[in-house]
Amino acid sequence: MSDHVYPASPRADLVGALVWVALGTLIVVASWRMDRLVEQGATIHTAPGLWPGMIGTLLAALGGALVLRSLRRARRIGWDAAEPDDTDYVPLQRFLLAAGLFFVYALLLVGKGLPFWLGTSLFVTVFVYLFQLAQRRAAAQRVRGVVVALACGVLTALIVTLVFERIFYVRLP
Amino acid sequence: MFDGLIAFGHSIWSFAEPLSLGLVMLSSLVGVIIGALPGLTATMGVALMTTLTIKMPSNQALLVLICTYVGAIYGGSRSAILLNIPGTPASAAACLDGHQLAKQGLAGRAMGIATSGSVLGTLIGMFFLAWFTPILGNLALKFGAFEFFWLALFGVIIAGTLTGNDPLKGWIAGMIGIFSAAIGQESIYAYDRFTFGIRDVSGGFQLVPALVGAFGFAELLMAVRERPVPVKINPFDSVIPRLKDVTQYWRTILRSGIIGTFIGILPGVGEDVAAWSSYAAAKRASKEPEKFGKGSIDGLMAAETGDNACVPGAVIPVLTLAVPGSAPAAVLMAAMLIHGVRPGPMIMVESPQFVYDVVAMMMYATIGILIYGLTLTKLLIKVLMVPKPVILPIIFVLCVVGSYAISQRMFDVWVMLGFGVLGYALRRLEYPVAPLVLGMVLGDLMEKGFRRGLVLSDGSLEPFFTRPISAAIWITIVVVIALKIPGLGERIVGMFRRGNPKATG
Repeated sequence: MSDHVYPASPRADLVGALVWVALGTLIVVASWRMDRLVEQGATIHTAPGLWPGMIGTLLAALGGALVLRSLRRARRIGWDAAEPDDTDYVPLQRFLLAAGLFFVYALLLVGKGLPFWLGTSLFVTVFVYLFQLAQRRAAAQRVRGVVVALACGVLTALIVTLVFERIFYVRLP
Repeated sequence: MFDGLIAFGHSIWSFAEPLSLGLVMLSSLVGVIIGALPGLTATMGVALMTTLTIKMPSNQALLVLICTYVGAIYGGSRSAILLNIPGTPASAAACLDGHQLAKQGLAGRAMGIATSGSVLGTLIGMFFLAWFTPILGNLALKFGAFEFFWLALFGVIIAGTLTGNDPLKGWIAGMIGIFSAAIGQESIYAYDRFTFGIRDVSGGFQLVPALVGAFGFAELLMAVRERPVPVKINPFDSVIPRLKDVTQYWRTILRSGIIGTFIGILPGVGEDVAAWSSYAAAKRASKEPEKFGKGSIDGLMAAETGDNACVPGAVIPVLTLAVPGSAPAAVLMAAMLIHGVRPGPMIMVESPQFVYDVVAMMMYATIGILIYGLTLTKLLIKVLMVPKPVILPIIFVLCVVGSYAISQRMFDVWVMLGFGVLGYALRRLEYPVAPLVLGMVLGDLMEKGFRRGLVLSDGSLEPFFTRPISAAIWITIVVVIALKIPGLGERIVGMFRRGNPKATG
């Protein structure tokens, strides 16, 4: 077995592998419990659960192989050994804020009765403003920051609505 | 042979009118910008344009999509050279030498090399598309349920093996994709599987929202997680390609074009593998391999020729086998189905003209990227300077709209979100996403082939292993897997080396 250091640590790989083993097992159990549809003339070869059962088995087996590999690697190089990651990450709160805004837009601001152009303007404006706030504050350009964010929001909503609905006749949420 | 040329001539003529030419220029421009912008992939670009063109006539819609696809693969080289950030994964190889040339004040020359490599690569791929499609189409007529099962499985296995650094994780991602395709009503008895009583899930997951999620939203989450790099573009020289670069490196261009095209034919492998493979082959064949990574024109030419040659290559299995050669080709295939085109073995029988239409579309796309390669530099630089906090929410709006527009269901937006989170998690844990997507695309074909095969053989597995084409494919799968098993792979390679008197070591 090579001592190759992969980007992900053996610990991370083990957690993932256990998830796949569990998921694969659940799939197999659920497939086994599916109706065999005998009254509709189905045989074992055409039973609905056969295919997902096979895939679940393969997934669990591959997950098992990854479990074994993680354990062997951990024994040789340690649980947390991984390729050095020199990516400059933003603080987790900033990432969660962005992800939160994405979900708020997709789940609450569109398709829930609010006009598309209004929901989109709000989302883009707030996103641009919040993520440029530190920069604008440092440059004493908070008002300019608000104006730029508003312009981005309104223009995005207008252009997307115009292009999709008016030019290409594609319905928007 | 002359019938093919006449058909090709008809196709070129049919698109030589103002509306089609306008669409070529517009969609190539959109493609180049999408490709140049880090955070937007070619797959997402083609998916978004699929929703935009849903109401257009099929030929015009596919013209737009192919021009976007070719433009996006080419456009990635711009940010790779100017910013050392690949606009698409396919341009990662171009960063190595392209940006080094830019640092030496030769960004214009690098862009000229990328333009000539991309144009010539697409042309080489186009040649094989026109020549090989009828041949593969005739072979595909011999494929039955058994062969399609193995072919689909081969696609997922090879995608898992060649994309990313870890085949085991690639195969796991592939299995997840195949399982995703099994969710919903199954095809024989319309029995609901894993729907948990949710009516929308009965129809399964639509491919375009899943692709937008896995490649678009996941990419956005990755982009948000990383701190933006200050954009600094050095002054540069003329971007006009030099004839000397083409004549001096004609061997590299031809080799990379062939490699790129044949990697494109492999299901699910895609442009990034084509670029790296072409780069590696050029380095091995070069008299100055030490220059690679330090501003080698040979290296940049190889990477850009290879990745663009992969585009027509990836369309070959779409047309003949209904199996995509890359993720953007998967979206293209979905678009063909939406517009009523039936890709697959019968295409040369039912609509042979369509194959030459696609070749003509590639040709027009090539002209588009040549024009923009010569003229678009200043505009692209302005686009690349737009700050991340402005680009990211706009891209997300397009992700939501693109997912919704196919069937006008908010459920598809939720699918996009779900696959985006899954794609992000997989990438953070170093799982490749391409096999997941290919598993989704090929899972249905695989299941149908397996179940139909069992019905035809009355439950016997023997035909799966003994029919000649099936045997060739399953043996290839076994060899591919065996080569990647630690210990066993080395022994197999060692056996071949011992049997070869010229081998050393």
